[in-house]
Amino acid sequence: MARAFYGRAWLSTMLVLALWGTAGAVEEVQLVYVGSTTTSVWRGIEQGLREANILGGFTGYTYTVEPVSPEAVLGAQRDKLPLAIVAATDAATLQRLSAKFAATGVAVLNLLADDDALRQACLPNLLHVVPSAHMKADAVAQWQKRKPAAQVQARAWHEDFTKFAAGELNNRFRKAQGVLMDDDAWAGWAVLKLLSEAVARAQSTEPARILAYLRHEMAFDGQKGVPQTFRDTGQLRQHLLLVEAGKLVGEAPVPGVVDSNDLDSLGLTSCKR
Amino acid sequence: MKHLTIALCLLFVALQSAMAEPTYRAFVTNENDGTLSVLDIRSGKVETTVSVGKRPRGIGFTPDRSQVYVAIGEEDAIAVVDIRTLQVVKKLPAGSDPETFAVHPNGHIYLSNEDANKASVLDPVAGKVVAEIPVGIEPEGVSIAPDGTLAMVTSESTHMVHVVTIPDHKVIANILVGARPREVAFSTDGRWAYVTSEIGGQVSKLDVAANKVVQAVPVTVPNAKPKGILLSRDQHTLYVSTGGGNAIAVLDADTLATQTVIPVGKRVWGLALSRDGTRLYACNGLDGTVSVIDTTTHQVSATIQVGSRPWGLVIDD
Repeated sequence: MARAFYGRAWLSTMLVLALWGTAGAVEEVQLVYVGSTTTSVWRGIEQGLREANILGGFTGYTYTVEPVSPEAVLGAQRDKLPLAIVAATDAATLQRLSAKFAATGVAVLNLLADDDALRQACLPNLLHVVPSAHMKADAVAQWQKRKPAAQVQARAWHEDFTKFAAGELNNRFRKAQGVLMDDDAWAGWAVLKLLSEAVARAQSTEPARILAYLRHEMAFDGQKGVPQTFRDTGQLRQHLLLVEAGKLVGEAPVPGVVDSNDLDSLGLTSCKR
Repeated sequence: MKHLTIALCLLFVALQSAMAEPTYRAFVTNENDGTLSVLDIRSGKVETTVSVGKRPRGIGFTPDRSQVYVAIGEEDAIAVVDIRTLQVVKKLPAGSDPETFAVHPNGHIYLSNEDANKASVLDPVAGKVVAEIPVGIEPEGVSIAPDGTLAMVTSESTHMVHVVTIPDHKVIANILVGARPREVAFSTDGRWAYVTSEIGGQVSKLDVAANKVVQAVPVTVPNAKPKGILLSRDQHTLYVSTGGGNAIAVLDADTLATQTVIPVGKRVWGLALSRDGTRLYACNGLDGTVSVIDTTTHQVSATIQVGSRPWGLVIDD
Protein backbone atom coordinates (compact mmCIF):
# COMPACT_ATOMS: atom_id res chain seq x y z
CA MET A 1 0.00 0.00 0.00
CA ALA A 2 2.70 2.45 1.09
CA ARG A 3 4.82 1.65 -1.94
CA ALA A 4 1.85 2.02 -4.25
CA PHE A 5 1.04 5.34 -2.65
CA TYR A 6 4.54 6.72 -3.08
CA GLY A 7 4.63 5.35 -6.60
CA ARG A 8 1.52 7.31 -7.38
CA ALA A 9 2.80 10.41 -5.63
CA TRP A 10 6.02 10.19 -7.65
CA LEU A 11 4.07 9.77 -10.88
CA SER A 12 1.89 12.76 -10.05
CA THR A 13 4.99 14.82 -9.38
CA MET A 14 6.48 13.79 -12.71
CA LEU A 15 3.19 14.57 -14.42
CA VAL A 16 3.06 18.02 -12.81
CA LEU A 17 6.69 18.64 -13.84
CA ALA A 18 5.98 17.52 -17.39
CA LEU A 19 2.97 19.80 -17.57
CA TRP A 20 4.99 22.75 -16.24
CA GLY A 21 7.13 22.37 -19.27
CA THR A 22 4.18 23.01 -21.54
CA ALA A 23 2.50 25.71 -19.48
CA GLY A 24 5.35 28.22 -19.52
CA ALA A 25 5.79 30.41 -16.44
CA VAL A 26 4.55 28.85 -13.25
CA GLU A 27 3.38 30.89 -10.30
CA GLU A 28 3.67 29.47 -6.80
CA VAL A 29 0.55 29.85 -4.72
CA GLN A 30 0.74 29.34 -1.00
CA LEU A 31 -2.06 28.49 1.38
CA VAL A 32 -1.81 28.45 5.14
CA TYR A 33 -3.51 25.67 7.09
CA VAL A 34 -4.44 25.99 10.74
CA GLY A 35 -5.30 22.63 12.24
CA SER A 36 -4.07 19.14 12.91
CA THR A 37 -2.25 17.16 10.23
CA THR A 38 -3.27 13.78 11.62
CA THR A 39 -6.96 14.20 10.85
CA SER A 40 -9.45 13.42 8.16
CA VAL A 41 -9.59 17.12 7.23
CA TRP A 42 -5.87 16.97 6.43
CA ARG A 43 -6.28 13.85 4.29
CA GLY A 44 -8.96 15.69 2.37
CA ILE A 45 -6.59 18.64 1.94
CA GLU A 46 -3.90 16.30 0.62
CA GLN A 47 -6.34 14.90 -1.95
CA GLY A 48 -7.57 18.36 -2.91
CA LEU A 49 -4.00 19.61 -3.20
CA ARG A 50 -3.13 16.84 -5.63
CA GLU A 51 -6.16 17.76 -7.74
CA ALA A 52 -5.47 21.49 -7.46
CA ASN A 53 -2.00 20.84 -8.83
CA ILE A 54 -3.40 18.94 -11.80
CA LEU A 55 -5.55 21.96 -12.69
CA GLY A 56 -2.63 24.25 -11.80
CA GLY A 57 -0.37 22.23 -14.09
CA PHE A 58 -2.62 23.17 -17.01
CA THR A 59 -3.10 26.80 -15.97
CA GLY A 60 0.38 27.74 -14.72
CA TYR A 61 0.07 27.55 -10.94
CA THR A 62 1.58 25.30 -8.34
CA TYR A 63 -0.05 25.05 -4.93
CA THR A 64 1.45 24.37 -1.53
CA VAL A 65 -0.27 24.15 1.85
CA GLU A 66 1.79 25.13 4.87
CA PRO A 67 0.51 23.84 8.21
CA VAL A 68 1.01 26.59 10.80
CA SER A 69 -0.04 26.87 14.46
CA PRO A 70 -2.73 29.46 15.23
CA GLU A 71 -0.28 31.35 17.43
CA ALA A 72 2.23 31.62 14.60
CA VAL A 73 -0.38 32.89 12.14
CA LEU A 74 -1.88 35.33 14.61
CA GLY A 75 1.44 36.51 16.00
CA ALA A 76 3.92 36.97 13.21
CA GLN A 77 3.81 39.38 10.31
CA ARG A 78 4.23 37.41 7.07
CA ASP A 79 6.44 38.65 4.25
CA LYS A 80 3.93 37.60 1.66
CA LEU A 81 0.19 37.20 2.14
CA PRO A 82 -1.07 33.67 1.58
CA LEU A 83 -3.78 33.20 -1.04
CA ALA A 84 -6.11 32.16 1.78
CA ILE A 85 -6.16 30.62 5.25
CA VAL A 86 -7.86 27.25 5.51
CA ALA A 87 -8.72 26.33 9.06
CA ALA A 88 -9.94 23.32 10.98
CA THR A 89 -10.24 24.98 14.35
CA ASP A 90 -12.74 26.37 16.89
CA ALA A 91 -15.03 29.39 16.50
CA ALA A 92 -12.96 31.71 18.70
CA THR A 93 -9.77 31.06 16.71
CA LEU A 94 -11.66 31.51 13.44
CA GLN A 95 -12.88 34.91 14.61
CA ARG A 96 -9.36 35.98 15.54
CA LEU A 97 -7.98 34.76 12.19
CA SER A 98 -10.73 36.61 10.36
CA ALA A 99 -10.01 39.82 12.28
CA LYS A 100 -6.29 39.56 11.68
CA PHE A 101 -6.69 39.28 7.89
CA ALA A 102 -9.85 41.38 7.40
CA ALA A 103 -8.00 44.50 6.28
CA THR A 104 -6.01 42.65 3.63
CA GLY A 105 -9.02 40.75 2.30
CA VAL A 106 -7.46 37.31 2.79
CA ALA A 107 -10.22 34.71 2.96
CA VAL A 108 -10.41 32.43 5.98
CA LEU A 109 -12.20 29.19 5.11
CA ASN A 110 -13.79 27.25 7.94
CA LEU A 111 -13.51 23.47 7.59
CA LEU A 112 -14.73 22.29 10.97
CA ALA A 113 -16.85 24.63 13.13
CA ASP A 114 -20.63 24.33 12.78
CA ASP A 115 -21.55 27.27 15.06
CA ASP A 116 -24.53 29.25 13.77
CA ALA A 117 -23.37 32.44 15.48
CA LEU A 118 -20.26 32.43 13.27
CA ARG A 119 -22.48 32.50 10.18
CA GLN A 120 -24.80 35.15 11.57
CA ALA A 121 -21.80 37.34 12.40
CA CYS A 122 -21.31 37.68 8.64
CA LEU A 123 -17.63 38.47 8.81
CA PRO A 124 -16.63 39.69 5.33
CA ASN A 125 -13.64 37.38 4.90
CA LEU A 126 -14.91 34.29 6.75
CA LEU A 127 -16.38 31.54 4.55
CA HIS A 128 -17.83 28.27 5.76
CA VAL A 129 -17.31 25.16 3.66
CA VAL A 130 -18.89 22.93 6.30
CA PRO A 131 -22.63 23.01 6.98
CA SER A 132 -23.87 24.80 10.10
CA ALA A 133 -25.63 23.08 13.00
CA HIS A 134 -28.85 24.76 11.88
CA MET A 135 -28.56 23.36 8.37
CA LYS A 136 -28.17 19.86 9.76
CA ALA A 137 -31.10 20.32 12.17
CA ASP A 138 -33.31 21.54 9.32
CA ALA A 139 -32.34 18.56 7.18
CA VAL A 140 -33.30 16.16 9.97
CA ALA A 141 -36.58 18.03 10.60
CA GLN A 142 -37.48 17.86 6.90
CA TRP A 143 -36.83 14.14 6.83
CA GLN A 144 -38.87 13.57 9.99
CA LYS A 145 -41.84 15.32 8.39
CA ARG A 146 -41.82 12.46 5.95
CA LYS A 147 -40.78 9.78 8.42
CA PRO A 148 -41.60 10.93 11.95
CA ALA A 149 -39.96 8.00 13.73
CA ALA A 150 -36.68 8.14 11.80
CA GLN A 151 -33.46 8.44 13.79
CA VAL A 152 -31.41 10.17 11.14
CA GLN A 153 -28.27 12.20 11.16
CA ALA A 154 -27.50 14.92 8.60
CA ARG A 155 -24.07 14.77 7.03
CA ALA A 156 -22.11 16.72 4.44
CA TRP A 157 -20.78 13.54 2.85
CA HIS A 158 -20.98 9.76 2.98
CA GLU A 159 -18.79 7.00 1.60
CA ASP A 160 -21.80 5.32 -0.05
CA PHE A 161 -22.83 8.46 -1.95
CA THR A 162 -22.48 7.67 -5.66
CA LYS A 163 -24.74 10.07 -7.57
CA PHE A 164 -23.34 13.10 -9.40
CA ALA A 165 -19.88 11.56 -9.67
CA ALA A 166 -19.70 11.36 -5.87
CA GLY A 167 -18.82 7.71 -6.46
CA GLU A 168 -15.82 8.72 -8.56
CA LEU A 169 -14.61 11.07 -5.83
CA ASN A 170 -15.13 8.42 -3.14
CA ASN A 171 -13.19 5.90 -5.23
CA ARG A 172 -10.20 8.08 -5.96
CA PHE A 173 -10.00 9.30 -2.37
CA ARG A 174 -10.07 5.74 -1.06
CA LYS A 175 -7.41 4.62 -3.54
CA ALA A 176 -5.09 7.51 -2.71
CA GLN A 177 -5.62 7.73 1.04
CA GLY A 178 -6.50 4.16 1.96
CA VAL A 179 -9.52 5.30 4.00
CA LEU A 180 -13.11 6.26 3.24
CA MET A 181 -14.07 9.86 2.59
CA ASP A 182 -16.10 11.42 5.40
CA ASP A 183 -17.54 14.90 6.01
CA ASP A 184 -14.23 16.35 7.19
CA ALA A 185 -12.26 14.90 4.28
CA TRP A 186 -14.83 16.26 1.84
CA ALA A 187 -14.43 19.75 3.33
CA GLY A 188 -10.63 19.53 3.07
CA TRP A 189 -10.86 18.35 -0.54
CA ALA A 190 -13.49 20.95 -1.43
CA VAL A 191 -11.50 23.90 -0.10
CA LEU A 192 -8.52 23.21 -2.37
CA LYS A 193 -10.84 22.70 -5.35
CA LEU A 194 -12.68 25.95 -4.58
CA LEU A 195 -9.49 27.98 -4.31
CA SER A 196 -7.66 26.49 -7.29
CA GLU A 197 -10.74 26.83 -9.48
CA ALA A 198 -11.25 30.45 -8.36
CA VAL A 199 -7.62 31.21 -9.30
CA ALA A 200 -8.03 29.55 -12.72
CA ARG A 201 -11.30 31.31 -13.50
CA ALA A 202 -10.45 34.75 -12.07
CA GLN A 203 -6.91 34.46 -13.46
CA SER A 204 -5.66 36.10 -10.30
CA THR A 205 -3.74 35.15 -7.18
CA GLU A 206 -4.56 38.39 -5.42
CA PRO A 207 -6.19 37.30 -2.11
CA ALA A 208 -8.93 39.95 -2.07
CA ARG A 209 -9.86 39.18 -5.67
CA ILE A 210 -10.14 35.49 -4.85
CA LEU A 211 -12.31 36.27 -1.81
CA ALA A 212 -14.59 38.39 -4.02
CA TYR A 213 -14.68 35.68 -6.70
CA LEU A 214 -15.65 33.01 -4.18
CA ARG A 215 -18.36 35.20 -2.62
CA HIS A 216 -19.97 36.51 -5.78
CA GLU A 217 -19.04 34.48 -8.84
CA MET A 218 -18.16 30.93 -7.88
CA ALA A 219 -20.50 28.14 -8.99
CA PHE A 220 -18.69 25.22 -7.45
CA ASP A 221 -18.91 21.58 -8.46
CA GLY A 222 -18.51 19.84 -5.12
CA GLN A 223 -19.60 16.58 -6.78
CA LYS A 224 -22.94 16.93 -5.02
CA GLY A 225 -24.98 17.51 -8.16
CA VAL A 226 -25.70 21.26 -8.30
CA PRO A 227 -23.53 24.36 -8.58
CA GLN A 228 -22.71 25.52 -5.06
CA THR A 229 -22.55 29.19 -4.13
CA PHE A 230 -21.86 31.16 -0.95
CA ARG A 231 -24.59 32.91 1.02
CA ASP A 232 -24.12 36.48 2.29
CA THR A 233 -23.47 34.84 5.66
CA GLY A 234 -20.41 33.17 4.13
CA GLN A 235 -22.03 29.73 4.22
CA LEU A 236 -21.52 27.40 1.23
CA ARG A 237 -24.92 26.24 0.01
CA GLN A 238 -25.09 22.48 -0.24
CA HIS A 239 -27.22 19.39 -0.18
CA LEU A 240 -26.97 17.30 2.96
CA LEU A 241 -27.12 13.54 3.21
CA LEU A 242 -29.37 11.73 5.65
CA VAL A 243 -27.85 8.75 7.33
CA GLU A 244 -29.62 6.20 9.50
CA ALA A 245 -27.63 3.56 11.39
CA GLY A 246 -24.64 4.27 9.15
CA LYS A 247 -26.63 3.83 5.93
CA LEU A 248 -27.35 6.57 3.44
CA VAL A 249 -31.15 6.93 3.31
CA GLY A 250 -31.83 10.27 1.64
CA GLU A 251 -30.89 13.79 0.70
CA ALA A 252 -31.98 17.21 1.90
CA PRO A 253 -33.66 19.50 0.88
CA VAL A 254 -36.14 16.62 1.16
CA PRO A 255 -38.33 16.31 -1.96
CA GLY A 256 -42.03 16.39 -1.20
CA VAL A 257 -41.41 18.39 1.96
CA VAL A 258 -39.68 21.35 0.33
CA ASP A 259 -38.51 22.11 -3.20
CA SER A 260 -35.54 19.78 -3.60
CA ASN A 261 -33.56 22.62 -5.24
CA ASP A 262 -34.19 25.09 -2.42
CA LEU A 263 -30.84 24.89 -0.67
CA ASP A 264 -31.84 27.90 1.43
CA SER A 265 -34.42 25.72 3.14
CA LEU A 266 -31.43 24.51 5.16
CA GLY A 267 -30.05 26.83 7.84
CA LEU A 268 -30.10 30.58 8.39
CA THR A 269 -29.72 32.83 5.41
CA SER A 270 -29.52 36.27 6.99
CA CYS A 271 -27.07 38.13 9.19
CA LYS A 272 -27.76 39.10 12.78
CA ARG A 273 -28.63 42.78 12.92
CA MET B 1 3.99 -6.26 -47.86
CA LYS B 2 2.28 -6.12 -44.51
CA HIS B 3 0.97 -2.67 -45.29
CA LEU B 4 -0.31 -3.80 -48.66
CA THR B 5 -2.17 -6.66 -47.02
CA ILE B 6 -3.72 -4.32 -44.49
CA ALA B 7 -4.65 -1.87 -47.21
CA LEU B 8 -6.30 -4.62 -49.24
CA CYS B 9 -8.16 -5.87 -46.21
CA LEU B 10 -9.40 -2.37 -45.44
CA LEU B 11 -10.47 -1.87 -49.04
CA PHE B 12 -12.32 -5.15 -49.00
CA VAL B 13 -14.09 -4.32 -45.75
CA ALA B 14 -14.93 -0.83 -46.99
CA LEU B 15 -16.41 -2.17 -50.21
CA GLN B 16 -18.31 -4.85 -48.36
CA SER B 17 -19.84 -2.34 -45.97
CA ALA B 18 -20.58 0.14 -48.75
CA MET B 19 -22.62 -2.53 -50.43
CA ALA B 20 -24.22 -3.81 -47.27
CA GLU B 21 -27.81 -2.97 -46.57
CA PRO B 22 -28.21 -1.19 -43.20
CA THR B 23 -29.61 -3.30 -40.37
CA TYR B 24 -32.01 -0.55 -39.29
CA ARG B 25 -31.04 -1.34 -35.74
CA ALA B 26 -30.30 0.97 -32.85
CA PHE B 27 -27.93 -0.27 -30.14
CA VAL B 28 -28.49 1.04 -26.61
CA THR B 29 -26.05 0.53 -23.73
CA ASN B 30 -27.76 -0.30 -20.43
CA GLU B 31 -25.29 0.74 -17.74
CA ASN B 32 -26.89 -1.18 -14.86
CA ASP B 33 -27.78 -4.36 -16.77
CA GLY B 34 -24.52 -5.01 -18.54
CA THR B 35 -26.47 -5.31 -21.78
CA LEU B 36 -27.17 -3.81 -25.16
CA SER B 37 -30.79 -3.39 -26.19
CA VAL B 38 -31.11 -3.95 -29.92
CA LEU B 39 -34.00 -1.94 -31.36
CA ASP B 40 -35.60 -2.44 -34.74
CA ILE B 41 -36.05 1.21 -35.64
CA ARG B 42 -38.63 0.49 -38.31
CA SER B 43 -41.01 -1.30 -35.95
CA GLY B 44 -39.91 0.67 -32.88
CA LYS B 45 -39.59 -2.58 -30.92
CA VAL B 46 -36.80 -4.20 -28.95
CA GLU B 47 -35.54 -7.03 -31.12
CA THR B 48 -33.28 -8.61 -28.54
CA THR B 49 -30.95 -7.92 -25.64
CA VAL B 50 -27.27 -8.85 -25.70
CA SER B 51 -25.03 -9.28 -22.64
CA VAL B 52 -21.83 -7.30 -23.13
CA GLY B 53 -20.16 -6.92 -19.71
CA LYS B 54 -20.23 -4.90 -16.54
CA ARG B 55 -21.10 -1.20 -16.80
CA PRO B 56 -21.36 -0.57 -20.53
CA ARG B 57 -21.50 3.15 -21.35
CA GLY B 58 -19.86 4.66 -24.46
CA ILE B 59 -20.77 3.11 -27.84
CA GLY B 60 -19.61 3.74 -31.41
CA PHE B 61 -19.25 2.15 -34.82
CA THR B 62 -16.12 0.76 -36.39
CA PRO B 63 -15.16 2.83 -39.46
CA ASP B 64 -16.76 0.23 -41.76
CA ARG B 65 -19.90 0.18 -39.57
CA SER B 66 -19.96 -3.62 -39.46
CA GLN B 67 -19.38 -3.72 -35.69
CA VAL B 68 -19.98 -1.58 -32.64
CA TYR B 69 -17.50 -0.93 -29.89
CA VAL B 70 -18.85 -0.72 -26.35
CA ALA B 71 -16.82 0.65 -23.42
CA ILE B 72 -17.10 -1.82 -20.55
CA GLY B 73 -16.02 0.29 -17.57
CA GLU B 74 -15.75 -2.37 -14.90
CA GLU B 75 -13.93 -4.84 -17.13
CA ASP B 76 -11.36 -2.31 -18.39
CA ALA B 77 -12.30 -3.37 -21.90
CA ILE B 78 -13.91 -2.42 -25.19
CA ALA B 79 -16.34 -5.09 -26.35
CA VAL B 80 -16.64 -5.62 -30.10
CA VAL B 81 -20.13 -6.61 -31.23
CA ASP B 82 -21.05 -7.69 -34.76
CA ILE B 83 -24.14 -5.69 -35.71
CA ARG B 84 -25.58 -8.49 -37.87
CA THR B 85 -24.88 -11.64 -35.86
CA LEU B 86 -25.10 -9.71 -32.54
CA GLN B 87 -22.22 -11.80 -31.21
CA VAL B 88 -19.64 -10.28 -28.89
CA VAL B 89 -16.68 -11.00 -31.16
CA LYS B 90 -13.98 -10.07 -28.67
CA LYS B 91 -13.00 -7.76 -25.87
CA LEU B 92 -10.03 -5.44 -26.25
CA PRO B 93 -8.01 -4.34 -23.22
CA ALA B 94 -8.66 -0.61 -22.88
CA GLY B 95 -6.82 0.52 -19.76
CA SER B 96 -8.49 1.49 -16.53
CA ASP B 97 -12.22 2.27 -16.43
CA PRO B 98 -12.98 3.23 -20.05
CA GLU B 99 -16.06 5.45 -20.20
CA THR B 100 -16.48 6.95 -23.64
CA PHE B 101 -14.53 7.09 -26.87
CA ALA B 102 -14.41 8.24 -30.45
CA VAL B 103 -13.26 6.15 -33.40
CA HIS B 104 -10.73 7.79 -35.73
CA PRO B 105 -11.17 7.18 -39.49
CA ASN B 106 -7.84 5.29 -39.29
CA GLY B 107 -9.51 2.79 -36.94
CA HIS B 108 -7.84 3.85 -33.69
CA ILE B 109 -10.10 4.23 -30.69
CA TYR B 110 -9.54 7.37 -28.62
CA LEU B 111 -10.96 6.71 -25.17
CA SER B 112 -11.17 8.31 -21.75
CA ASN B 113 -9.97 6.38 -18.70
CA GLU B 114 -12.19 7.97 -16.11
CA ASP B 115 -10.32 7.01 -12.95
CA ALA B 116 -6.80 7.43 -14.37
CA ASN B 117 -6.70 11.06 -15.57
CA LYS B 118 -5.73 10.04 -19.07
CA ALA B 119 -6.92 9.31 -22.54
CA SER B 120 -5.72 6.17 -24.32
CA VAL B 121 -5.34 5.37 -27.98
CA LEU B 122 -6.30 1.78 -28.64
CA ASP B 123 -5.28 0.05 -31.87
CA PRO B 124 -8.01 -2.57 -32.30
CA VAL B 125 -6.01 -4.53 -34.87
CA ALA B 126 -3.01 -4.91 -32.57
CA GLY B 127 -5.43 -5.23 -29.64
CA LYS B 128 -3.41 -2.89 -27.48
CA VAL B 129 -3.09 0.64 -26.24
CA VAL B 130 -0.53 2.43 -28.40
CA ALA B 131 -0.51 5.85 -26.68
CA GLU B 132 -1.56 7.44 -23.42
CA ILE B 133 -2.24 11.14 -23.02
CA PRO B 134 -2.34 12.78 -19.58
CA VAL B 135 -5.42 14.98 -19.15
CA GLY B 136 -7.42 16.32 -16.20
CA ILE B 137 -9.48 14.53 -13.56
CA GLU B 138 -12.44 12.34 -14.57
CA PRO B 139 -11.89 12.47 -18.32
CA GLU B 140 -15.15 11.90 -20.13
CA GLY B 141 -16.21 13.06 -23.57
CA VAL B 142 -13.96 12.34 -26.55
CA SER B 143 -14.50 13.74 -30.03
CA ILE B 144 -12.38 13.68 -33.15
CA ALA B 145 -12.32 16.60 -35.57
CA PRO B 146 -13.86 15.73 -38.96
CA ASP B 147 -10.45 15.97 -40.69
CA GLY B 148 -8.91 13.59 -38.12
CA THR B 149 -6.13 15.94 -37.01
CA LEU B 150 -7.40 16.68 -33.49
CA ALA B 151 -9.11 15.00 -30.60
CA MET B 152 -10.86 16.88 -27.82
CA VAL B 153 -11.16 15.26 -24.41
CA THR B 154 -13.16 16.76 -21.54
CA SER B 155 -12.16 16.41 -17.90
CA GLU B 156 -15.18 16.67 -15.69
CA SER B 157 -13.50 17.52 -12.41
CA THR B 158 -10.84 19.82 -13.91
CA HIS B 159 -13.47 21.61 -16.05
CA MET B 160 -11.38 21.56 -19.19
CA VAL B 161 -11.36 20.60 -22.83
CA HIS B 162 -7.94 19.16 -23.71
CA VAL B 163 -6.97 19.53 -27.34
CA VAL B 164 -4.78 16.68 -28.61
CA THR B 165 -3.07 16.58 -31.99
CA ILE B 166 -3.24 13.44 -34.14
CA PRO B 167 -1.07 11.51 -34.91
CA ASP B 168 1.63 12.90 -32.59
CA HIS B 169 -0.66 13.10 -29.53
CA LYS B 170 0.54 16.41 -28.15
CA VAL B 171 -1.76 18.37 -25.85
CA ILE B 172 -1.71 21.78 -27.49
CA ALA B 173 -4.38 23.52 -25.42
CA ASN B 174 -6.29 23.10 -22.18
CA ILE B 175 -9.43 25.20 -22.37
CA LEU B 176 -11.30 26.05 -19.17
CA VAL B 177 -15.08 25.82 -19.66
CA GLY B 178 -18.15 25.70 -17.39
CA ALA B 179 -18.14 23.21 -14.52
CA ARG B 180 -18.22 19.50 -15.37
CA PRO B 181 -17.84 19.39 -19.16
CA ARG B 182 -19.32 16.18 -20.55
CA GLU B 183 -19.38 16.03 -24.34
CA VAL B 184 -17.98 17.75 -27.41
CA ALA B 185 -19.55 17.93 -30.88
CA PHE B 186 -17.66 19.29 -33.88
CA SER B 187 -19.34 21.07 -36.76
CA THR B 188 -18.79 19.12 -39.99
CA ASP B 189 -16.52 21.86 -41.35
CA GLY B 190 -14.35 21.45 -38.23
CA ARG B 191 -14.52 25.14 -37.43
CA TRP B 192 -16.54 24.98 -34.22
CA ALA B 193 -16.76 22.62 -31.30
CA TYR B 194 -19.69 22.69 -28.90
CA VAL B 195 -19.27 21.56 -25.29
CA THR B 196 -21.90 20.75 -22.65
CA SER B 197 -21.20 21.66 -19.02
CA GLU B 198 -23.36 19.61 -16.69
CA ILE B 199 -22.96 21.60 -13.47
CA GLY B 200 -22.30 24.90 -15.23
CA GLY B 201 -25.67 24.35 -16.95
CA GLN B 202 -24.39 25.76 -20.21
CA VAL B 203 -23.14 25.09 -23.71
CA SER B 204 -19.84 26.63 -24.83
CA LYS B 205 -18.86 27.23 -28.43
CA LEU B 206 -15.15 26.87 -29.16
CA ASP B 207 -13.28 28.34 -32.10
CA VAL B 208 -11.24 25.27 -33.02
CA ALA B 209 -8.43 27.10 -34.85
CA ALA B 210 -7.99 29.59 -32.00
CA ASN B 211 -8.56 27.10 -29.15
CA LYS B 212 -10.82 29.64 -27.51
CA VAL B 213 -14.30 29.83 -26.03
CA VAL B 214 -16.20 32.34 -28.12
CA GLN B 215 -19.55 31.97 -26.39
CA ALA B 216 -20.98 30.27 -23.31
CA VAL B 217 -24.74 30.37 -22.87
CA PRO B 218 -26.96 28.81 -20.19
CA VAL B 219 -29.41 26.19 -21.39
CA THR B 220 -32.79 27.58 -20.35
CA VAL B 221 -34.47 24.43 -19.10
CA PRO B 222 -35.31 24.16 -15.37
CA ASN B 223 -32.71 21.95 -13.59
CA ALA B 224 -30.74 21.61 -16.83
CA LYS B 225 -27.66 19.44 -16.54
CA PRO B 226 -26.49 19.45 -20.15
CA LYS B 227 -24.89 16.17 -21.19
CA GLY B 228 -25.37 14.89 -24.75
CA ILE B 229 -24.95 17.20 -27.73
CA LEU B 230 -25.50 16.76 -31.48
CA LEU B 231 -25.76 19.02 -34.49
CA SER B 232 -28.63 18.72 -36.94
CA ARG B 233 -27.67 17.49 -40.39
CA ASP B 234 -27.89 21.06 -41.75
CA GLN B 235 -25.62 22.26 -38.88
CA HIS B 236 -28.00 25.04 -37.85
CA THR B 237 -29.46 23.40 -34.77
CA LEU B 238 -27.99 21.83 -31.65
CA TYR B 239 -29.78 19.11 -29.70
CA VAL B 240 -28.77 19.02 -26.06
CA SER B 241 -29.90 16.41 -23.54
CA THR B 242 -30.37 18.04 -20.13
CA GLY B 243 -30.10 15.11 -17.71
CA GLY B 244 -32.31 15.89 -14.71
CA GLY B 245 -33.94 18.63 -16.77
CA ASN B 246 -35.83 15.67 -18.29
CA ALA B 247 -35.97 17.41 -21.67
CA ILE B 248 -34.12 17.96 -24.91
CA ALA B 249 -33.15 21.58 -25.51
CA VAL B 250 -33.13 22.67 -29.14
CA LEU B 251 -30.55 25.44 -29.58
CA ASP B 252 -29.68 27.80 -32.39
CA ALA B 253 -26.13 26.69 -33.26
CA ASP B 254 -25.18 30.26 -34.08
CA THR B 255 -26.42 32.09 -30.97
CA LEU B 256 -26.76 29.10 -28.61
CA ALA B 257 -30.17 30.45 -27.62
CA THR B 258 -32.65 27.79 -26.48
CA GLN B 259 -35.43 27.76 -29.10
CA THR B 260 -37.58 24.83 -28.09
CA VAL B 261 -37.77 22.47 -25.14
CA ILE B 262 -38.95 18.91 -25.73
CA PRO B 263 -39.97 17.07 -22.54
CA VAL B 264 -38.77 13.45 -22.56
CA GLY B 265 -38.07 10.94 -19.76
CA LYS B 266 -36.03 11.10 -16.57
CA ARG B 267 -32.28 11.85 -16.66
CA VAL B 268 -31.89 12.03 -20.40
CA TRP B 269 -28.29 11.50 -21.60
CA GLY B 270 -27.27 9.72 -24.80
CA LEU B 271 -28.46 11.04 -28.17
CA ALA B 272 -28.36 9.79 -31.76
CA LEU B 273 -29.78 11.11 -34.99
CA SER B 274 -31.16 9.08 -37.89
CA ARG B 275 -29.14 9.31 -41.09
CA ASP B 276 -31.69 11.64 -42.71
CA GLY B 277 -31.84 13.76 -39.55
CA THR B 278 -35.62 13.48 -39.16
CA ARG B 279 -35.59 11.45 -35.95
CA LEU B 280 -33.67 12.04 -32.75
CA TYR B 281 -33.27 9.21 -30.23
CA ALA B 282 -32.64 9.93 -26.56
CA CYS B 283 -31.82 7.63 -23.61
CA ASN B 284 -33.84 8.30 -20.45
CA GLY B 285 -31.59 6.74 -17.79
CA LEU B 286 -33.94 6.70 -14.80
CA ASP B 287 -36.97 5.65 -16.82
CA GLY B 288 -35.22 2.86 -18.71
CA THR B 289 -36.60 4.15 -21.98
CA VAL B 290 -35.58 5.62 -25.32
CA SER B 291 -37.59 8.55 -26.67
CA VAL B 292 -37.98 8.96 -30.42
CA ILE B 293 -38.41 12.58 -31.42
CA ASP B 294 -39.63 13.94 -34.75
CA THR B 295 -37.16 16.73 -35.48
CA THR B 296 -39.63 18.56 -37.73
CA THR B 297 -42.48 18.82 -35.23
CA HIS B 298 -40.31 18.53 -32.08
CA GLN B 299 -42.78 15.98 -30.72
CA VAL B 300 -42.00 12.65 -29.10
CA SER B 301 -43.38 10.07 -31.51
CA ALA B 302 -42.57 6.96 -29.49
CA THR B 303 -41.15 5.85 -26.14
CA ILE B 304 -39.48 2.45 -26.10
CA GLN B 305 -38.77 0.47 -22.92
CA VAL B 306 -35.17 -0.80 -22.85
CA GLY B 307 -32.89 -2.00 -20.01
CA SER B 308 -31.82 -0.46 -16.71
CA ARG B 309 -30.07 2.93 -16.93
CA PRO B 310 -29.76 3.33 -20.69
CA TRP B 311 -26.66 5.50 -21.25
CA GLY B 312 -25.94 5.93 -24.94
CA LEU B 313 -26.87 4.65 -28.36
CA VAL B 314 -25.97 4.47 -32.05
CA ILE B 315 -28.14 3.85 -35.10
CA ASP B 316 -27.36 1.82 -38.22
CA ASP B 317 -29.72 3.15 -40.86
